[in-house]
Amino acid sequence: MSASGSVGGTARREPHAPESTIGRKSDYLHAESTLRSWFLTTDHKRIAILYLASITGFFVIGALAAGVVRLALIVPNGAIMTNDTYNKAFTIHGVVMVWFFLIPSIPATFGNFLIPLMIGARDLAFPKLNLTSWYVFMAGALFTLVSVVLGGVDTGWTFYAPLSTAFSNTWVLPALIGVTIVGFSSILTGLNFVVTIHTMRAPGMTWFKLPIFVWAHYATSLIFLLATPVITTALILLIAERAFHIGVFDPAYGGDPVLFQHLFWFYSHPAVYIMVLPGMGVISEIVPAFAQKKLFGYRFVAYASIGLASVTFFVWGHHMFVNGQSDLASLVFSALSFAVAVPSAVKVYNWTATIHKGALRLDTPMLYAMGYIGLFVLGGLTGLYLATLAINQHIHATYFVVAHFHYIMVGGTVLAFLGGLHFWWPKFTGRMYSEPWGRVSALLIFLGFNVTFFPQFILGYLGMPRRYATYPAEFQLLNVLSSAGATILAAGYLFPMLYLVYSLWFGRKAPANPWNAKGLEWETSSPPPTHNFLSPPEVPRIPYDYPIQAQEARDQHG
Amino acid sequence: MSEPLADGVGVARAHHFESVAQQREAATLGIWAWLITELLLFAALFLVALITRIQHPEATVAAAKHLKFWIGATNTVVLICSSLTMSMAIEFSRMGWQRAMVRAMLATAALGGLFLVLKGYEYYADWAEHMMPFLSDRPFALAETPAARLFVNLYYVATLLHALHLFTGITLLLGMTWMAARAGFLARHQNWIEVYGLYWHFIDLVWILAFPILYVVNR
Ligand code: HEM
Ligand SMILES: [Cu+2]
Repeated sequence: MSASGSVGGTARREPHAPESTIGRKSDYLHAESTLRSWFLTTDHKRIAILYLASITGFFVIGALAAGVVRLALIVPNGAIMTNDTYNKAFTIHGVVMVWFFLIPSIPATFGNFLIPLMIGARDLAFPKLNLTSWYVFMAGALFTLVSVVLGGVDTGWTFYAPLSTAFSNTWVLPALIGVTIVGFSSILTGLNFVVTIHTMRAPGMTWFKLPIFVWAHYATSLIFLLATPVITTALILLIAERAFHIGVFDPAYGGDPVLFQHLFWFYSHPAVYIMVLPGMGVISEIVPAFAQKKLFGYRFVAYASIGLASVTFFVWGHHMFVNGQSDLASLVFSALSFAVAVPSAVKVYNWTATIHKGALRLDTPMLYAMGYIGLFVLGGLTGLYLATLAINQHIHATYFVVAHFHYIMVGGTVLAFLGGLHFWWPKFTGRMYSEPWGRVSALLIFLGFNVTFFPQFILGYLGMPRRYATYPAEFQLLNVLSSAGATILAAGYLFPMLYLVYSLWFGRKAPANPWNAKGLEWETSSPPPTHNFLSPPEVPRIPYDYPIQAQEARDQHG
Repeated sequence: MSEPLADGVGVARAHHFESVAQQREAATLGIWAWLITELLLFAALFLVALITRIQHPEATVAAAKHLKFWIGATNTVVLICSSLTMSMAIEFSRMGWQRAMVRAMLATAALGGLFLVLKGYEYYADWAEHMMPFLSDRPFALAETPAARLFVNLYYVATLLHALHLFTGITLLLGMTWMAARAGFLARHQNWIEVYGLYWHFIDLVWILAFPILYVVNR
């Protein structure tokens, strides 16, 4: 019970860094250690760890499926596996990676852990609901995986009708039901974040003092709330059609398959920003910390998050240029898609400006952040090619698309995820990871990623269509190159799993603020006590109060 | 809060909130956010139904004429009455009249049940009239125009989804009534009644939208 956190007056704040509390009863990891205390916890930090463990498992499953796909594509004639197996492998890869890894990754783990800390709250607004959404998530994901155990699905992660409702004779129904259930978990998480950010901020933590990470999650949560219900409807209709022939998509039942695509992409394009915005939030924390400089154009970056979240609802039609929608619609969607590039570019520009003339340190999180910026820019630029009507006719449904979305989604989300994981690892676990190994794997991942996916731009441009197990022999060289890159990439993913786990027992104990970073999460011990702060945190005078300040900051605050 | 609360009525602060006011604000915002997502869930269906009507007026009107207008209309009245009883329950909870509140909640649940019974009867009548095109052993009563079939399919998905919400709503309401009947409930959880009330009004609202879109337009 206290309402301190007075803001005015305090000119310079010495970080009153509390000691590490590892092993003391008060830290959230050691407070209780029974299984029950983990599986019935309502502590947002423990729930975040539950998510972290589960999505890591799903990532491994998705990666194995990707390995199978790349293995098959080493030879042009499909000699390694049947078409059927190939279809199932890329479907499960896409389903698991998108629905069970990318979408929940940053929000459910870092968001859960950090939002209350960053705003100076004791927990999310609805702790029990938070635990519920983890169970909902697990139930849905396991439901889907049952379909794999039974024999697989072959519709692709997009479940296009009428293939998914009438023609596929694989285990579509459990996969659909699982994905539908997982959607509710997203909605509940988004709801919890929105309410928390609105109502639980510490006294003095005004909207324009919030870290960009929080802004990004606020925008993401709005997408969770406004887009997910629509895909739920679409999935429910698919289920009704497949199971009971109550249909609206299959022409045989009076339906319209393009309708499914409208409903699907109305969600799934915004979903891309569910994957990208949180990553941007992570990068916006890492970059200032490793440049020791105030984030350039803080307000613009904040507005750009909300801007992206809004525009993204109006561009779904760019997935349907060649599906017989009207030319006028295509033109409008094309133009709007170009508009999305603006807020994205604002962010890239602001990160670059922050790095410029900063006191740069190239530790692991920063290496990931720089890799992120590079891949994101290339992914974004190729998106403009795809949004151009005439070019789209040529590269639609080719490997160009596959390369594009991997640059955005893997480059944009997985790199941010790994960067954030290293950045906050000391806070999560109270231990430091091995810096040399961290740098090696960051470089390996960047290299492996480019060797894997860059050739796919060329393949697509040359006309290799996606989702086929065979291809003309002249494409073999580039495909082998891509598969070789995937091997490097796999090694790059394996290293962190090993040295991070190793650090849990043998890592050096982490201080409260190893990076000399700003933000309330660094004001508490590593790992934080169960109720987050032993004494109410002091809200900083300005956000990103780093030693090097841009001119603009001085102007704004006199 | 707009209404002053009576003595012994209020909310116990949960440990992670700074104040009761904050806790109430969070609960209210939370339920509104949830209702928006629920509305969007139905909105997609209603939108498709409306577009179908605009594109194929004759076929959909022919199909809509087979719906049991009087059952739909009666059910609309039933749900409006249930919203009324729910509002009364909220008023009573604010005044601390626990018994009256419990009775009003039971009445609300009963009206919800009546709705489901009538709806069930309507489905039975549809079945008898061969208005269920997805049952392969019962040939569809209307000529197989795709639009008519599409409209009828949408009608089933939308009304079944609504019925599912109502069923869940009644179950929750009965569970809550059971807890609310115990001594001391109103001193700790009065806002549960308010929050739940919003959910009930929402179920009502969805039907008030569904009824004209499915039953009435162009009739
Ligand atoms: C480990 C390295 C990876 C490799 C070698 C790889 C390979 C592939 C390949 C070859 C395809 C195209 C399948 C086809 O359309 O025929 C594909 C599709 C896809 N990948 Fe990856 N991938 C990797 C990592 C990831 C990651 C980490 C994610 C997400 C986090 C991801 C998300 C997707 C999605 C969404 C698709 C679309 C599936 C579809 O169109 O049905 N991939 N991947
Ligand atoms: Cu898109």
